[in-house]
Amino acid sequence: MKIMNCPLNGPRNISEFTYGGEFKVMPDPATCSDAEWADYVFNSDNEAGVVREWWMHNASSYWFLAERHTVTDQIIRTFDAKEVFNQRVEFKAHEEGVA
Amino acid sequence: MTSLNPIERCALIDLTDLPRVGFRGLDAAQWLTASGYSLPEAPNRAVLCGDGTLVARLSQTEYFLLGSLSDRGQRLASEEAGWVLGEERNYLLPRQDSHAWLQLSGKHVAEVMAKICGVDLRAEAFPVGSVAQTSVARLNVIVINAGSAELAKFHLLCDRASLEYFQAAVLDAMGEFGGVPVALDNLLG
Repeated sequence: MKIMNCPLNGPRNISEFTYGGEFKVMPDPATCSDAEWADYVFNSDNEAGVVREWWMHNASSYWFLAERHTVTDQIIRTFDAKEVFNQRVEFKAHEEGVA
Repeated sequence: MTSLNPIERCALIDLTDLPRVGFRGLDAAQWLTASGYSLPEAPNRAVLCGDGTLVARLSQTEYFLLGSLSDRGQRLASEEAGWVLGEERNYLLPRQDSHAWLQLSGKHVAEVMAKICGVDLRAEAFPVGSVAQTSVARLNVIVINAGSAELAKFHLLCDRASLEYFQAAVLDAMGEFGGVPVALDNLLG
């Protein structure tokens, strides 16, 4: 069994984890174009190499980030999302109506 | 067979009818401390309060409280019943209907768990006061080592709707150690 190191719970069988998709920086929804937003929501880069991904430890419902090599499947490191998200993100509604 | 009584040898007790509750939020620790509960220093640790309430810390800001046998959990039940959401960032997590609560006790606890769980739960790796959120018998389970010098004891918290399956799986694993289900009345005295 592959072992993944959960930043909260320590080393655990890979069957205790769920993959949550590529980590991407969110464009500002108030100013970005529809194409940029659609790209963020729907498209994946699917890179061969070291990528950043969301993973969840099922038993604790804990989401964290992992750096993994998509060719060798080697997990390079896992870390708390606080390392990236260190300030509050405010969401503002569109001021004009959406067509 | 030894002369130990079932609880000291290998027993499973269903504590699901006793009160339990959770709290989460940036102010949860402050609120719980002000309410007189002792809190674990780090996530995945548990401490026993003076009145017998067990407080497990599941993450930086989440706590799971298990009612005391001495008052049959009435303190926690009234905590939940009287809960009002205020300005503080402390949020009630109802746990009565989400989690079932079993107690596995006796000198074979680690051997029983080794058959159904991949994490090393032997005393040297998982001492008293440790918490493991992991997969047990293929369910997501919170395992708390609440043992004492006299009695090795794990609390197991699993999805309540899966209690019948989980209880059967644990009892099956306990079989080779002479494990038996024991009624809750034997603890309440």
